[in-house]
Amino acid sequence: MNFIKRNQSLNFVIFFFLFSLFVTIASELAMGLLSTSFVKVLGKTLMLCLAAIALDLVWGYCGILSLGHMAFFALGGYLIGMWLMYERTKEIVISAASEQLIPLTPEETKEAIGNQIFGVVGGSDIPIIWIFADSLIIHLLLIVIIPGLLALVFGWLAFRSRVTGVYLSILTQAMTLALSLYLFQNDSGLRGNNGLSGLQNIPGYGNLTQDVISVIFLWLSTFALCCGFYIASIITKSKLGNLLVGIRDDEARVRFLGYNVELYKLLIFVVTAIMAAIAGSLYYPQAGIVNPTELAPIASIYLAVWVSIGGRGKLIGAVLGAAFVSLISSFFTSGQIPNIDFWIININWVDWWLIILGLSFVSITLATQNGLFGLIEKVKERVINK
Amino acid sequence: MNDLLEVRNISVSFDGFKAINSLSWSIGYPELRAIIGPNGAGKTTLMDIISGKTKADSGKVLWDEVAIPLTQKSEYQIAKLGIGRKFQRPTIFEEQSVEENIVVSLKNNRGFFAALTYKYTDQEKLRVGEIASTIKLTSLLSKKAGELSHGQKQWLEIGMLLSQDPKLLLIDEPAAGMTTEERNMTVQLLRELSKTKSIIVVEHDMDFIRNLGCRVTVLHEGSVLAEGSIDHVSKNKEVVEVYLGR
Repeated sequence: MNFIKRNQSLNFVIFFFLFSLFVTIASELAMGLLSTSFVKVLGKTLMLCLAAIALDLVWGYCGILSLGHMAFFALGGYLIGMWLMYERTKEIVISAASEQLIPLTPEETKEAIGNQIFGVVGGSDIPIIWIFADSLIIHLLLIVIIPGLLALVFGWLAFRSRVTGVYLSILTQAMTLALSLYLFQNDSGLRGNNGLSGLQNIPGYGNLTQDVISVIFLWLSTFALCCGFYIASIITKSKLGNLLVGIRDDEARVRFLGYNVELYKLLIFVVTAIMAAIAGSLYYPQAGIVNPTELAPIASIYLAVWVSIGGRGKLIGAVLGAAFVSLISSFFTSGQIPNIDFWIININWVDWWLIILGLSFVSITLATQNGLFGLIEKVKERVINK
Repeated sequence: MNDLLEVRNISVSFDGFKAINSLSWSIGYPELRAIIGPNGAGKTTLMDIISGKTKADSGKVLWDEVAIPLTQKSEYQIAKLGIGRKFQRPTIFEEQSVEENIVVSLKNNRGFFAALTYKYTDQEKLRVGEIASTIKLTSLLSKKAGELSHGQKQWLEIGMLLSQDPKLLLIDEPAAGMTTEERNMTVQLLRELSKTKSIIVVEHDMDFIRNLGCRVTVLHEGSVLAEGSIDHVSKNKEVVEVYLGR
């Protein structure tokens, strides 16, 4: 049994390795078969898949419908973005000053950086939360620590009071909304509604062109997704996985078997929050910009929709749903498809896509038990039985 | 026969309704005990208090020879001390196999990381086999628990309690929804188990209680009305009044 299951992770890794290899060749060697921006779309999609795995673990397996996991995702983006933006601005300031006769003092450098970054929100002081922005290592640690801590505190308060079901979902939505509204303020120290931008430029590697950077991030994303899938499949195949499903189906039973259900929920919530944050920290350098709208509740709802279309309670289902739906979404909303005039209705795909998405969500949920993945399994079974 | 569990002067009320009214009561080890009483007598509430689901307003619940107070402990801590609880409605993990249901119940480290690194040993496989044969589900180990019959689900839940290796079993209406044959098997099972464990059974079915052939506690309006053999309590005037008066 276990051997077959381990093979599934291996297949997953092989598939994504070949996929990345193909994309690399198509964009680098066979010049222009795939555009740089499309490579970025693919890399971003991989990170949405990782976020979907995180949500599937906490919702599909453990039954906690979090409508706030994209908050952790965006926080990951903010935390890597702070370092990227600070270092990049520093480079620009120093290179601009190198033409002057007198070199800048450290204070002057700082002031210039502050002016560059915060001029847009009418400030020049570097806020205290940027204190570690000079250090990549600390910021990489913060990507794990800050969202992890937020999830820990939020989860501890919520699970300890035994908030469950729809009330918990509402609470998580309130969390992401509150965070979003806070970040919209100019004095939040994170540039208000402007967010952090220019994240596609990697400090210290100014000589690399975007097509190379896009491929590097594609590989990083593939690596992160495979690690995430592997960890998630270890969890789901272990006794812990049985207990998570047990908590989903009958929380009281698990509790009366002597398991500290609240602690289990809290830890899985924190682990998946960190997973989402790591995904976000690789997503936003490919997107180039992160701003408070990324934390809007709708983002987390979309994530839940992807997972349920793909098939929740199955890791592959979550990956499938996120990849499939987000790729089609970006296809329909990119404006590449010509609008159709149909009688008195003008079909504008950017708007109509939402209706199509909604309809397919409803019909897939009604028609299949386990989403697209369940549908594939069913077809497979029929073919084998014939 | 020493007391395994002592309930001392427990009171609890819900919105002014006194569900349990300064109740004092105890059970020895090993012992099989049935609790009966009309609806609203406080039978299930008593079990809720013992297992930690409901907190008592006043009074004490003392466990085992060292008299560990249970009233401030949470459900999982009480379960870990060796008190297993079976609910009225069979609560099992329907999406998982019978074997998985038993394995997650086996007594071992209850920690998060212990669950992640857990290995199913041969010794535990034997134990699962033993439990399965006790609850007559040996041939159904790989079946999804949700596909079992109602009676089999009840047994599976009892099997899950046994896997925890508890000293005390709290069993709420085991016979509900069972066929006569299943009832008889359940009586046998409980009598067999009571040789090495203490068991508290709450049940409405008088024939079932009679077949258990154990001491009976009658609860009424949150306190003990009578105690003794089934023949003894059924001759008690007050008991007859309580049952017929409603």
